[in-house]
Amino acid sequence: MHLLLLSFFLLASTALLPAAAASDWENSLVYLEVTRKTYEVFQPWTPKSRTVQKNGLIIGAREILTTAEELSDRTLVRVQKGGRGKWWNAEVTWIDYHANLAVLTAADATLWQGLKPATFTTGKLPKEGLQIVRWRSGNLESRKAEFNQFLVEDARLSFIQHLQLEASTEMQGVGWAEPLVVNGKVAGLATGQGGNNARFLPASFIEPILSARKAGKYPGLGYFPFTWTPVENPSTFKFLKLPGDPRGALVVDVPAAPVLEANLKPRDLILSVDGFDVDNQGYYKDPDYGQLIVENLGSRRKFAADVVKLKIWRDGAQMDLDYRLPKLDYSVKLLAEQAFDQAPEYLIAGGLVFQPLNIPLLRGFGDDWKRRAPFRLTYFAGEAPSATRSGLVVLSSVLPDPYVLGYQDARLLVVDAINGQKISRLADVQAALQKPQDGFHTVEFLRGDNLRRIVLDAGMMDEATKRILERYRIPAASHVEAK
Amino acid sequence: MKSICCLLTALALSSLAALAADPEKAVVQIFTFSQGADWDEPWKFEQLRRSSGTGFIIKGRRIMTNAHVVSWARQLMVKRYQDPRPYLARVVFVGHDCDLALLEVEDSQFYNGVDPLEFGTLPKVRSTVVTYGYPAGGEQISYTRGVVSRIELQTYAHIGNRSLLGVQTDAAINPGNSGGPVIQDDKVIGVAFQGMPGLENAGFFIPPPVIQHFLEDIQDGKYDGFPSAGIRTAPLQNAAYRRKLKLPDNDKGVRVDSIVPGTPAEKVLRPDDVVLQVGSYPVGSDGSIVYEGNRMALAMAVQEAQHGQSMPLKIWRDGKEQTVAVPVEVSATDKVLGNQYDVPPRYFVYAGLVFTPMSLDYLKTFGRGWSDTAGAELTYELFYRRHESPKTVRAEPIVLSTVLADEVNANLRTRGRALVDKINGVRIERLEDVIRAFEQPTNGQHFIEFLPKNTFECLERESADKANANILKTYGIQRDRRL
Repeated sequence: MHLLLLSFFLLASTALLPAAAASDWENSLVYLEVTRKTYEVFQPWTPKSRTVQKNGLIIGAREILTTAEELSDRTLVRVQKGGRGKWWNAEVTWIDYHANLAVLTAADATLWQGLKPATFTTGKLPKEGLQIVRWRSGNLESRKAEFNQFLVEDARLSFIQHLQLEASTEMQGVGWAEPLVVNGKVAGLATGQGGNNARFLPASFIEPILSARKAGKYPGLGYFPFTWTPVENPSTFKFLKLPGDPRGALVVDVPAAPVLEANLKPRDLILSVDGFDVDNQGYYKDPDYGQLIVENLGSRRKFAADVVKLKIWRDGAQMDLDYRLPKLDYSVKLLAEQAFDQAPEYLIAGGLVFQPLNIPLLRGFGDDWKRRAPFRLTYFAGEAPSATRSGLVVLSSVLPDPYVLGYQDARLLVVDAINGQKISRLADVQAALQKPQDGFHTVEFLRGDNLRRIVLDAGMMDEATKRILERYRIPAASHVEAK
Repeated sequence: MKSICCLLTALALSSLAALAADPEKAVVQIFTFSQGADWDEPWKFEQLRRSSGTGFIIKGRRIMTNAHVVSWARQLMVKRYQDPRPYLARVVFVGHDCDLALLEVEDSQFYNGVDPLEFGTLPKVRSTVVTYGYPAGGEQISYTRGVVSRIELQTYAHIGNRSLLGVQTDAAINPGNSGGPVIQDDKVIGVAFQGMPGLENAGFFIPPPVIQHFLEDIQDGKYDGFPSAGIRTAPLQNAAYRRKLKLPDNDKGVRVDSIVPGTPAEKVLRPDDVVLQVGSYPVGSDGSIVYEGNRMALAMAVQEAQHGQSMPLKIWRDGKEQTVAVPVEVSATDKVLGNQYDVPPRYFVYAGLVFTPMSLDYLKTFGRGWSDTAGAELTYELFYRRHESPKTVRAEPIVLSTVLADEVNANLRTRGRALVDKINGVRIERLEDVIRAFEQPTNGQHFIEFLPKNTFECLERESADKANANILKTYGIQRDRRL
């Protein structure tokens, strides 16, 4: 009954407000052109250029909001208003890849003339009258969208799971920061599309981030790094000595990193988060979005270093835990998820091409890299860093030369040690190659790979590297980021 | 080695005694009714299957054919050349690694008037051979002529994970030819056994050295198989590596890159030993030997020995040449890494939980993309742990393959395809441990832990014990275990 009344109220409220005409958005929506560098994964010294078009939303004085996707390694960003005519150069003033949001500005005052900031929806989302708006071939295109659901899923550019909005539409090619609008306000920004279902960052996710940023108090998103599982088995609750009705999400894995002061332990039951009761499926009832999984409470108006209040069941007793949200960081994984705004690292030593083993490298095997890449590389994607190994380096290929004769077929081998020194990153490779043993460099690969060891003449390496760079027209022997 | 020589002599003498004038009289057609195992629900068998192949009568009132012609046979029927009467046969010996089998027909009339075929020696490349068999496309015997195209180690598809000597010919070898003799100068110089998808005019047959090894192996009444040395070698063609090992810069000797943990070679060899000679075969720097005028992998020399024998190796270690004897064995682990036949899987069912050892056959029940869908943990356990963490290896990793739905287990979240770590605190090394663990006294609950990520399930012991018999009855399982 309560739900029916609520629906009626929403229908009534939309009926009272006039639907925003498409033309209202002409002065709030701009067209963006981004040119950026990309790199061949297995020849990382070869940059290429890529240009994409996307949408930008005026959100304040000299500020354009868009998604962060395709803004990394940018070389030129231009803005066009009215869907045609002059382009203005723009620059990114703030970007958060985890949240997939970026703010741009332009120095030329003429761009801003006639432009008008948009505002975001607040409170419950009206389910009727949703439209997707974008610039296309110089015209403003507006199409109806049907609300499907709110859901908590993996972010587009990060491993965080956060709130997203799904709506169906007949508009194709959605996902380039097109605004989802209703009643003249912005309800979300498009991040992708599968079939007729488009995904959006909802206004309720975007707006708190922008407000905190404006106030200079945005520390980045926090997250729940632990793994939990639903529990339906009454025997499990009996084992955990939990009295009463089945409830709570069962923590099964807590990674060693990030290190937290007050942390969960495997076999803890999370009974509530910030006052929201968690059921035995790991869901809580969100007053705005309905049933959502508990992950959402790590980013629901909370940021990194904020405390979420957990009520947990541990060792047969209930206890409170002030859980301080760790900051999202791509490098927390053994294989870094992303490497934005830096040329890919590599090191060529006498024809041996070393690269960090990370997810961008695995993506070089295609979208279905989990199936196509060698198992011994993909396996590490599920592994955690350890005290002795914070990352991995792979011998990705060998550039044939007399110096490396006999090793020309070695490829995609994970490096264990060089000259006896354990290797976690390319800087370790550089350091280890400074310390040859008895005139030789010995490169050892992790157990289980076909080839375990190769030996090279240390005295001839520099000369060989120089010769190889010339022969293969490679501009530099290495690009190694300082850590 | 002595016994190999004896056998060769015996065959040579017998070949002088009688020549089969009409080889086709000794060629038989084999009709197999087979039923393979179900590796996911291991108490079951697949549907009855009918197939046919070829065989030939050899000395000692035996029929030689391929192992894959008679695998999982429930009934075997053979027909002689232009004889309408079917005879019942049984398998006497089978070697799945070399894809050979010997059959016996009890009715002595079967052998009347037939001269058994004699074996010849390894044919020369470019020499002409004729295949005899009953391939698809007709009822009568078929002959095809071709030349020996090449001779080297080939992967034997029946078992899938062994490479033995194989001969390629352009004589047509089609389904139904399997097990048929390949004749040269009225002698059998091979057993037709496989083709290769994508290759035209290329069939393969099993040559005399493999056949002779099989015949010698069964002299003691049981078949052991082809042994391996337990070493992984790497070419030694880089001048620096040779210099480090104080070896002359020539084309001799292959480097021991690693030793398979748990093999006898661990006690004799070590990494960076250089194998200069195996038996009487000098070894090249690429790991090859010259066998009967054909260059091929040194594994060929190892395969001349029988299981349990020692192979003399001339090696280079610490700047000196020395001779060692390496015991060679058939690896039990290799069996579970290849396709298995005739022995149905071990299992144990308790309260609807089906436990069975992990094997390649089990993983294949996941479908064509099993390496992707089986998950990293199962794949790693079967193929990599032995090499990478030999100290944590389990003798027989056990999976919970499926859960037969019943009230007693209806709330379990794990429904199968999970690697079992511990049961009631007992680390599960093999199937017998599962039975022992469930028999352990507990506080009224069974506690089952899985890998990875600390997932676990609980079962009420009393109700599980009570439900067990009824579940077996409901699912038509005659016995709760096959050990």
